[in-house]
Amino acid sequence: MSEFDDLKKKIELTKNKYSSNLPKNNPNIIGLAFRIGTELVAAVFVATFIGYYLDKWLGTKPIFIIILFMVGVAAGIFNVVRSAKMINKG
Amino acid sequence: MATNPMHQFEVHRIGPSLSINGIDVSFTNSSLFMLISSILIITFFMIGTRKVNIIPNKIQLINEIVFNFISKMISETAGPKAKPYFPFILTIFLFILTLNMIGLLPYAFTVTSQIIITFFLAVVIFIGVTVVGFAKNGIGFLKIFAPSGVPIFLFPIIVAIEIISFLSRPVSLSVRLFANMLAGHTMLKVFGGFVVSLGIIGGWLPLSFSVALTALEILVAFLQAYVFAVLSCIYLNDALNMHH
Repeated sequence: MSEFDDLKKKIELTKNKYSSNLPKNNPNIIGLAFRIGTELVAAVFVATFIGYYLDKWLGTKPIFIIILFMVGVAAGIFNVVRSAKMINKG
Repeated sequence: MATNPMHQFEVHRIGPSLSINGIDVSFTNSSLFMLISSILIITFFMIGTRKVNIIPNKIQLINEIVFNFISKMISETAGPKAKPYFPFILTIFLFILTLNMIGLLPYAFTVTSQIIITFFLAVVIFIGVTVVGFAKNGIGFLKIFAPSGVPIFLFPIIVAIEIISFLSRPVSLSVRLFANMLAGHTMLKVFGGFVVSLGIIGGWLPLSFSVALTALEILVAFLQAYVFAVLSCIYLNDALNMHH
């Protein structure tokens, strides 16, 4: 089993050599940061889209599109706050 | 034509034109690159797991790193209940990662720069997560739209907001991947065009930008695949571990 012992020693040595200057940034956090932009836009887009078709279907032209646009903005901000909370936690 | 930065995103047919019930199902360059990346992933893992050693060789080592990376990510974001979904998440991650990386090669086609592809992937995840949520929690899955501790007069607004934010998931998931790939590749092509038009005297500056952008694009290609997988896990987590 000397092969394994050799390897173990080698791994330990390399670890000690590099452990001090390993990059600390977790990919998780960069990944979460990338989410935020589209999160805001997507909610507004989806809500307005639904509002437009509800209006078309019910014939109540500007009412639903206005209401759902506002709900969409709120949902977008909500999503952003939620992702930001996740970054602070992670 | 070749200097048009959007030319690289055109889907064109390879071989004969096929159609079933009026739906065009011809083999395109998009299908070709999806096939190439699938074959690449399969061969890579076949070679890596053909002869498994305790002290791994290089390909086996890379396989194990990828495997552990995704396994760790799933247990961190979605908990132990998400273990059965590991193959699905790994497949999604590897497929998107390979498509993104292949797209960076010159003359290659970037499949993930097509909104329909990313949107389809996102919708599959969205429907899958919704089905899993209803299967595991029954009708109680609807509680995801009604967080506890909300004053009664705010309740309808919060429910509307939650529903919109739930429905916006596939859109944000797909648009993020698509927009990042599209923007990055267009930018690379534009800077490449500058190099040609400025010639040997002034072309060095855009060339150095091009090199730096390529490095950035490699990061983005990896990160977008990772974000896609992480978000799938987060959505799975919502469906599996409900604690409202």
